[in-house]
Amino acid sequence: MKHEIICAGIGGRGVLLASTILIEAAIKSGMKAMASDEYGMSQRGGSVVSLVKVGSYASPFIGRENGDILLAFEESEFYKTLFFLRKGGLALVNTRSATLGASIDGMLKERQIAYRLIDADGIARDADMFQSANMALLGAFASFGIEPFTRDVLETTIRSRVPEKFLAKNLAVFETGFETARRKAKG
Amino acid sequence: MDIKQEVVIGNQAIARGLVEAGLEIAAAYPGTPSSEILPGVVYFKNMEGLKIHTEWSSNELCAFEVAFGAAAYGDARAACFMKQVGLNVAFPALLKAREKVLEGGLVIVCCDDPGPQSSQTEQDTRLLAALFGIPVFDPASPDEAADVAYYALNWSFKNKVPVIIRSTHRVSHARQSINLYKPGERTVTLKEGVCAGQGTKLGIIASGMSYSLVHDVIEEIGAADEVSLYKVLRVYPHSEDLARFVGSMEKVLVVEETDMVIEALIGNREKVMGRGDGTVPSSGEITYDIVRDMLSVILQGQGKVKAFAPDRSIETSLADVPIVPRPPKLCPGCPHRAAFFAMQHIWPDAIYPGDIGCYTLGISQGAVDTCLDMGAGVTFAEGFYDAFYQDGKLVPILASVGDSTFLHACLAPLYDAVRNRKRFILVIMDNSTTAMTGMQPTPQTGITVDGIATHSVAIEDIVSGLGVKYLRIVDPYDVPLAISTIKDAFHYLEGDDMLPAVIITRRECLLLAKGKGKDTAYPVRLVEDCIGCKSCFNTFGCPAISFDPEAKKIGIDDSICTNCGICYYACPVQPEGKELKKFKQGRA
Repeated sequence: MKHEIICAGIGGRGVLLASTILIEAAIKSGMKAMASDEYGMSQRGGSVVSLVKVGSYASPFIGRENGDILLAFEESEFYKTLFFLRKGGLALVNTRSATLGASIDGMLKERQIAYRLIDADGIARDADMFQSANMALLGAFASFGIEPFTRDVLETTIRSRVPEKFLAKNLAVFETGFETARRKAKG
Repeated sequence: MDIKQEVVIGNQAIARGLVEAGLEIAAAYPGTPSSEILPGVVYFKNMEGLKIHTEWSSNELCAFEVAFGAAAYGDARAACFMKQVGLNVAFPALLKAREKVLEGGLVIVCCDDPGPQSSQTEQDTRLLAALFGIPVFDPASPDEAADVAYYALNWSFKNKVPVIIRSTHRVSHARQSINLYKPGERTVTLKEGVCAGQGTKLGIIASGMSYSLVHDVIEEIGAADEVSLYKVLRVYPHSEDLARFVGSMEKVLVVEETDMVIEALIGNREKVMGRGDGTVPSSGEITYDIVRDMLSVILQGQGKVKAFAPDRSIETSLADVPIVPRPPKLCPGCPHRAAFFAMQHIWPDAIYPGDIGCYTLGISQGAVDTCLDMGAGVTFAEGFYDAFYQDGKLVPILASVGDSTFLHACLAPLYDAVRNRKRFILVIMDNSTTAMTGMQPTPQTGITVDGIATHSVAIEDIVSGLGVKYLRIVDPYDVPLAISTIKDAFHYLEGDDMLPAVIITRRECLLLAKGKGKDTAYPVRLVEDCIGCKSCFNTFGCPAISFDPEAKKIGIDDSICTNCGICYYACPVQPEGKELKKFKQGRA
């Protein structure tokens, strides 16, 4: 099994924690995994991209149009990293918008890319955990049940990674993200 | 046997390998991408309960000489860590040290920055090593870096010569699970030679992360039958086997970062493609796409090779989408931003010599004009002063330098300025840490890398000791005070002392303050009162401030805004901004 995953967002918002959870989840499930992070000089507020490769790869780098999954933790960063996604890939985008522009939507359909728009910031804000939008998006991703990133495995990994003090609320946000994405899939 | 595993970055993997190999003394000066190695040593020595002396040095020369002294004249297994340009600082000692027969063992880990991403220049440590005959290893992954570190320290100890491990940011900052062995129990087999493919038409030779990239690209485009991939790990002195490989191939392509090193060592211009003939770009990082495009062109139409062709409909569909550019900026709430705002406020056209650190980003506020190397903020100011003074002019020169850089490289320059009667304003931006490289303590923090209290050095004492008479310490958040102090300093320069003036802007780095739960918290009312003039957006450069062209109002990203409130000074309708304007008109 192989996955090439792009996590994109802005600094200070938990992109790197999300990608850490992904590689640890894969390793826990007995797979090889590697990540490479790209962040600018600003620690907070700059673009952050973390590439995760699961399977027998030598490098942690993803070529243009090779990525299977794009987790975009911010809408502009989604557009900047869209070129990574392969035909038939999957994108999850944290955005308040209910739809994407017609040209983007058309291109994604043409390239058979499935996408789901999730208001992860809204979910996190409702739980009074503004910094935890990353957990909402991971929850939404878990709803796809792509091995090894099932709800159980991701939840266990979050438990081992998030400090006790914030754990319960983070898990609640994760859960809401999961349910929201599942409802959208049915609707 | 149950072997422990841990997900680590490459720099921690190097630290692990050294600790397992019996490291006794380690010294470093932080610099991206090398900064996490020394804290990694501390982490693993504590995990294993080992006694290893670890220290942050004031610069790379100090770090090198401490480690070299321990290895050359004691019998210690020692190591020092630095970034590629840091090796330049340690260079005078390295050149002599390479000839010395060691009593112990010495590994110099030097992390290069292809691109460069966080440095002033690209620079290939392997080239220096090969040029001066120092053995150098170039690992291709964090996992391999741990093995190489273990091997290199043992090898140096046995052979009594210093060894360099060259990492790059792509290895140093990649994350991977590595095995943690008990100290002394790791077995290492160096992976060199043909590692993929069985073709004879094209032989590809690669080292470091470039090897890993080529490996994955060969698999993706299905080129394994057409090419053979030869991995080099010890770049100098390289294996005899490499020449045989070159001889057995019709053509050879060398992929390496950042300079021509293996390519030059092979030296066969007829057969070898690479940077020399332009097949590989002459500078910049080697990315996955560069390797794939290169191999797609060279191998097009051969065997089962699927040449990659990009789908440009992606770019077309994005043509009308508004995308927020996010250039590097100082963090929201950064005290440096407030200091630069004050510096820029009085003389927008002053000369602003800058230095190396977070505060180089003051360039976006128009308060940094130059960036050469560490310490040049002060020496440039001296040169500029002379150039104007010879023509009988005294112009405002406002140099800026951070606290860690000041202690690293500015003491001699500032003393030179004193004894040679130079007149400029030096702003020392003291945020009590080395923020850009990950919050390492500075000599004045009074904390060691182990987190233990030690003697601290006060910057103001040093400045006075060097003979500076005008010295003020201000809180950069007090923008009006900072501005009036800068004006006052310039009046001083116009007087008879013929000395530089020094202002220390002192406020803890916000990342450090937040870590201690010291949040500033009062609501920012910038949005409600906004008249759409973009003054704050244009002059303040805060990542938390955006501008909505439809609403003609600025927006504040609550998730990253720290409520520092300094942006009020950039707003013409807020009382703070109004006062500042009056102040400027009245006193300018």
